[in-house]
Amino acid sequence: MQPLRIALAQIAPRLGVLEENLERHRAILDEARAAGAGLVVFPELGLTGYLLQDLAAEVAMRIDDPRLVELAAGTAGLSAVVSFVEESADHRLFIAAALLEDGRLRHVHRKLYLPTYGLFDERRFFAPGDALRAVPSQLGVGIGLTVCEDLWHLSVPALLALDGAQLLINVSASPGRDLAAVHETGIGTATSWRTLLRAYAQLTTSVVVFCNRVGVDESISFWGGSAVIAPSGEALLEAPLYQEGLFVGEVALADVRRERIALPLLRDERPELLVRELERIVAERAGLAPDATAEPGSGA
Amino acid sequence: MSAKEDNGARAGAAPGEVGGPAAASLFVLPPELAIDTDVARRVIAEFVRGQLDQAGFERAVLGLSGGIDSALVALLVAEAIGAERLLAVLMPYRTSSPASRTDAESVVRQLGCNSLLVDISPIVDGYFGRDGEPGSGGAEALGASPLRRGNLAARARMLVLYDQSVVFGGLVVGTGNKTEALIGYTTVYGDAACAFNPIGDLYKSQVRQLAAAVGVPEAIIRKAPSADLWPGQTDEGEAGFSYPELDRLLYWMIDRRQSDDELLARGFEQAMIERVQRMVAGSEFKRQVPPIAKLGRRTAGVDYLYPRRRPGSSRT
Repeated sequence: MQPLRIALAQIAPRLGVLEENLERHRAILDEARAAGAGLVVFPELGLTGYLLQDLAAEVAMRIDDPRLVELAAGTAGLSAVVSFVEESADHRLFIAAALLEDGRLRHVHRKLYLPTYGLFDERRFFAPGDALRAVPSQLGVGIGLTVCEDLWHLSVPALLALDGAQLLINVSASPGRDLAAVHETGIGTATSWRTLLRAYAQLTTSVVVFCNRVGVDESISFWGGSAVIAPSGEALLEAPLYQEGLFVGEVALADVRRERIALPLLRDERPELLVRELERIVAERAGLAPDATAEPGSGA
Repeated sequence: MSAKEDNGARAGAAPGEVGGPAAASLFVLPPELAIDTDVARRVIAEFVRGQLDQAGFERAVLGLSGGIDSALVALLVAEAIGAERLLAVLMPYRTSSPASRTDAESVVRQLGCNSLLVDISPIVDGYFGRDGEPGSGGAEALGASPLRRGNLAARARMLVLYDQSVVFGGLVVGTGNKTEALIGYTTVYGDAACAFNPIGDLYKSQVRQLAAAVGVPEAIIRKAPSADLWPGQTDEGEAGFSYPELDRLLYWMIDRRQSDDELLARGFEQAMIERVQRMVAGSEFKRQVPPIAKLGRRTAGVDYLYPRRRPGSSRT
């Protein structure tokens, strides 16, 4: 198996300017193809910008929108992940990441976890997705798509790996904050993300691909630092912080097989145990079964 | 992390080591407030360029007082867009300290930026009057308190800056820091007025650390911060506590959400905690957009929520 070249488009989208961002995406697809990339990943809401507020409805697209169809058509011979505001038939708005392959839209993942705390206000403007699926890809491996906050929930990478993903892709618009000098990277957010990405790669014995945007929306600056992490936890590509660019890394997908045979964590997973215990916990939390253990938060 | 926190456990902490030996002799930097100045410069440069670009501007205007805050912002803006695109306006009042002006001029020389000297005395005196001669504020205004005079001077500077921003074709850059904003040591629509503020999330101690890193003249870093409203006035003299002490308290109280008990355990005094909490609560209005009575279907700031910069918002 040839090594896979992955191009990470660490861009600064123009807030609310769909046409300009589409143009930029098309140009980057061509640039990545010329660089020999098999997979191109764009950041969360790369087609629209992040801090949309009431603009969200104005830049939303149905998945059969001609602009998306045209963008997909530009992926001949490529796999690409792009992100935008998706409007469903019943007019809910989702933060979506779509897998485009060889000219077609293959899969749409709707962001599951919408942070609405601290500096975030996503749930006010968007609906959360309800489905998580690993999907087959022309790259020859299963792909698990996630959007930013999705990866701050342990169950998400675990489910994707159990569902057959060998390539976990996260697209993000992560605002940099906490510039305390004690952090490894000088910025708290980046330090936390690096820890998470490495841990997920190792725990799921998968390749983790992270594409985070740069640029400024209002008060917040996005820190970039996109990365490709091997199943061993080794960083194969670490893009610089705050710097716009197309960063290309290479990964041997055969390493996933090697790692999973040497370290058979996924073979030893116990999904039936997980389901059983989760069903019990759900029943207890709903008051449908006596709580056999400590009630969450009771301090008992 | 915990070791750092322990180092800073006493109020009025030991001089910081994080800024390096040269920096440590210039100012006190509580360890928990130390920032990565390289990252901060990078983020701020990007922020300044982003704000201007999204508004369709290439130039910036700021009031240069001779103090550390505006000197730092001048250097950061020059670093982001080039000194030739920056206009520094020096706006002394007749009783302002001559040293302030000298210090401001040293920053202009160091940067090679555009500068303008506007004496605000006729504006301020025109209202309050002078030498027993009433101004447009009438006889009563002759006896105006230093607070009134200081606020009017701050707003006179705002008038000049916004007028000059039209002439120069630049946005007004704010120079207020997080400490003064949190305790309300600002004049609404005066020094707090701006199009955007690159240092408004940095405590005074962090302003000093960053100032040392970007090369603000030592004399400016070293001198006692002052609103320069009357001779010999200093912020710390007026407030009754030192900036490093105040910064640490605000940091633990606000950024780290610690309770009164936790703050006491950290060594802060009850009286200071209560006083600072009153200052913060009492100045909440200064940090927010004024409320609009909700009457219609869609109201700005309530349920009409758009980013300030969006398609069509750029003047170009």
